[in-house]
Amino acid sequence: MEKLKTTSDLEKLRKNLLNKKNSKNTCVSICSGTGCRAYTSENVVNAFIEEIKKQKLENKVEVKRTGCHGFCEKGPVVVIHPMDICYLQVKPEDASEIVTQTLLKGKTVDRLLYTDQKTGKKIAIESEIPFYKNQTRLIFGNNRKIDPKSIEDYLTLGGYKALTKALFEMKPAQVLDEVKNANLRGRGGGGFPAGRKWETTRNAPETPKYVIVNCDEGDPGAYMDRSLMEGNPHSVLEGLIIGAYAIGSNQGYIYIRQEYPLAVENTEQAIKQAQEYGLLGKNILGSGFDFDIKIHRGAGAFVSGESSALMSAVEGHVGEPRPKYIHTAISGVWDKPTCLNNVETWANVPFIINNGSKWFEDIGTKTSKGTKIFSLVGNVNNTGLVEVPMGVTLREIIYNIGGGIPNGKKFKAVQTGGPSGGCIPENLLDLHVDFDELAKVGSMMGSGGMIVMDEDTCMVDVARYFVNFLADESCGKCIPCREGLRHMIQLLDKITSGNATEKDIQLLEELSEVVQMASLCALGQTAPNPILSTLKYFRNEYEAHIRGECPARVCKPLITYYIEPEKCKACGLCLKNCPTNAITGSKKQVHVIDIEKCTKCGTCFDVCKFDAVTKKTAEKNKKEKITVTG
Amino acid sequence: MTKEKNKTNFVGVRLTKEQTKNLSKLQKSSELSKTDILLRGLEILSEYYALGLDRPPLNIELKKLEEQAIHHLNELKKIKQKEESIKQLIQELKDVDQIIDEYNGEKSALIQILLKIQAKNNWLPKPALLWVSERLDIPMSQILNIATFYKAFSLEPRGKHLVRVCLGTACHVRGGPKILQAAEQFLGIKSGETSPDMKFTLESVNCLGCCALGPVMMVDEEYHGKLSPSKVGDILSNYKNKDTKNIEEKIIAR
Repeated sequence: MEKLKTTSDLEKLRKNLLNKKNSKNTCVSICSGTGCRAYTSENVVNAFIEEIKKQKLENKVEVKRTGCHGFCEKGPVVVIHPMDICYLQVKPEDASEIVTQTLLKGKTVDRLLYTDQKTGKKIAIESEIPFYKNQTRLIFGNNRKIDPKSIEDYLTLGGYKALTKALFEMKPAQVLDEVKNANLRGRGGGGFPAGRKWETTRNAPETPKYVIVNCDEGDPGAYMDRSLMEGNPHSVLEGLIIGAYAIGSNQGYIYIRQEYPLAVENTEQAIKQAQEYGLLGKNILGSGFDFDIKIHRGAGAFVSGESSALMSAVEGHVGEPRPKYIHTAISGVWDKPTCLNNVETWANVPFIINNGSKWFEDIGTKTSKGTKIFSLVGNVNNTGLVEVPMGVTLREIIYNIGGGIPNGKKFKAVQTGGPSGGCIPENLLDLHVDFDELAKVGSMMGSGGMIVMDEDTCMVDVARYFVNFLADESCGKCIPCREGLRHMIQLLDKITSGNATEKDIQLLEELSEVVQMASLCALGQTAPNPILSTLKYFRNEYEAHIRGECPARVCKPLITYYIEPEKCKACGLCLKNCPTNAITGSKKQVHVIDIEKCTKCGTCFDVCKFDAVTKKTAEKNKKEKITVTG
Repeated sequence: MTKEKNKTNFVGVRLTKEQTKNLSKLQKSSELSKTDILLRGLEILSEYYALGLDRPPLNIELKKLEEQAIHHLNELKKIKQKEESIKQLIQELKDVDQIIDEYNGEKSALIQILLKIQAKNNWLPKPALLWVSERLDIPMSQILNIATFYKAFSLEPRGKHLVRVCLGTACHVRGGPKILQAAEQFLGIKSGETSPDMKFTLESVNCLGCCALGPVMMVDEEYHGKLSPSKVGDILSNYKNKDTKNIEEKIIAR
């Protein structure tokens, strides 16, 4: 690998690479994101390599491990280019059939194609599958075309063009203006305008200045940053270098969560490659601009994703937030001006520089520009990563792309914005998703997690889950967050066990207000959001719990398991599986659950093939009534 | 009384004059200390036992001597063990040194250094932390502050396999808690504990970042997605079986 000294060196290299690529025009690209790897996609890759060798196609066909395609529900995903035929849930033993049928004869293997749920039709072309068709893939689009471990792949797709444009055709101030005009807002949660943040750091008097990529994606239910960092690390690097040029920084950090080993591996490799080509280091492409990047691995703490806490962690201290009377953009790492942005925000930068702010402004809504990647998960048919322009409705995302709720269940709520976000009910499904609209209904964009919940989800339990999560992750530095959350859990425990009164709900509301107003950092300030939003839209469920009833039949103290005698076929399956031997019965004799022994683990409910086991609620209430009347 | 005067006291055992004489003779010719000679003799004796041979007839004096020497032998073994553990410790600290040098001894790399030590040992042993404190000139209190704040660190030895059950939101709504319950039942330990045979450590985590596959469990570096409680036992027993298989293979190879 020779160091590139000028832009013409880079263009020459790009030309050579394109020529080389054209000689092999068929490509089998196999998703090797973390999701598909869990489905053993590596075995699929090996099966293809072997089969292609066997059929002597090595010189014509290329096998490629790509980043996450986003359609994680149906992994491992295999796409044959240039025909763009998409095979889903491919197993290693399917490789030979695909090679002989599709690569040699040009036919499709129908059983591996996507089946439309409504019409039952098979769809072969990737871009015609509704999941992909209804998306606008800008940032995430290249993920499925490139091998994240190869800088050459990124270069053939026009990679680092934006960098040369910024370095040689624009002054730092012009780059800054472009990003400011594009009105790019931070994708990490708050939605603060990135351009303004850059400007503050640029104008801060102290030197040196630092730039940081925040890949501490702690929000449960969100994994788009991971997929970008793993699948297309160079796009983030390019954005970061451009940002550093605009801000006047020579040192960058990438903070990656400890739980993402593949992201660390791919980013390390990407940095090494960029350094070898001279796209990082001293005098980049002969422009006189120096810049280098270090990776900092997190060690497992949710609160470390907060900007000041993350910077403290980069310094080698405990990742606790500090009061931000002076913004981190002015006084961050080692008290020097530091500009921190989320992975997706940085990945947007090359697009804005390449296409101009005007182009970017045309996508999205009035206040929120561009696209956003959401991780659509939970009780939805097509789980995966979804990139749509800002302003698309929730209904479009959940039903048109996500394919609705599985098993014929009813939609109940969608939770956005991670633990600090809120739950949005069915009547607001036509909401146009952007930063401000979500805030208006008491939720937030957050990093883009979108967790769909069906009718079997108890909203009080969900609120309790989030508060529990946040109490666990609270660093304990400030009292309102540390103590407030603990008391909120106690109250929620009281409610979910059916021992609460109307007064407890009031107390919960009051407490939420105090925690919101008095906490030091965003973790505490937004912690009551799950409670407040569920109280706002699902107050009836809270009230039901006070009456001793859990409408979704989730909260253990309020439900009992019961075997319906008419449906029980006396098969003995539940009896065999019960961990506490609470079920009695024998052949041809209806089984009965002993409520005294039952721990309500739900095993019998899961194993019963005849739906004979049911959950009952409001038992408690009835008992009380009996004692009163009796 | 006179008889007793004739005897010399040696490592707590009284020897007759003749024995003392023989001993000093031996000592002169072999240039070994008295203790060494005795121990040597007893090693030979213990080999006798190990081979299952009848022990040579001993008089009472010799028996006493033998007891005494066994005691010394045990002491020696203990010292040797200590020596071994010190050697191991030195090796461990050398490894730590290497890790610290990778980061040029920078104070700001403390978390990265601890992560590497954790990855190497599966936990953070105290001597390693003391050495990090010494080398980086960071007080132990600060190191423990970090080691207890972050979830990746453990101050206790962990099992061979780390089982992490995801309880993130997406997994939660798809039945993550039931997976944890099943894992607890199978392993017979609670979340956060290590099995007595040091094979498994069970943990619950807040998000593994592959939410589309929920509910998810991660064993070491492998992800297992779309789980149901009944699958958990199969997966975990696979790891158990793999281990015994490996051991068997090793034995066969020997």
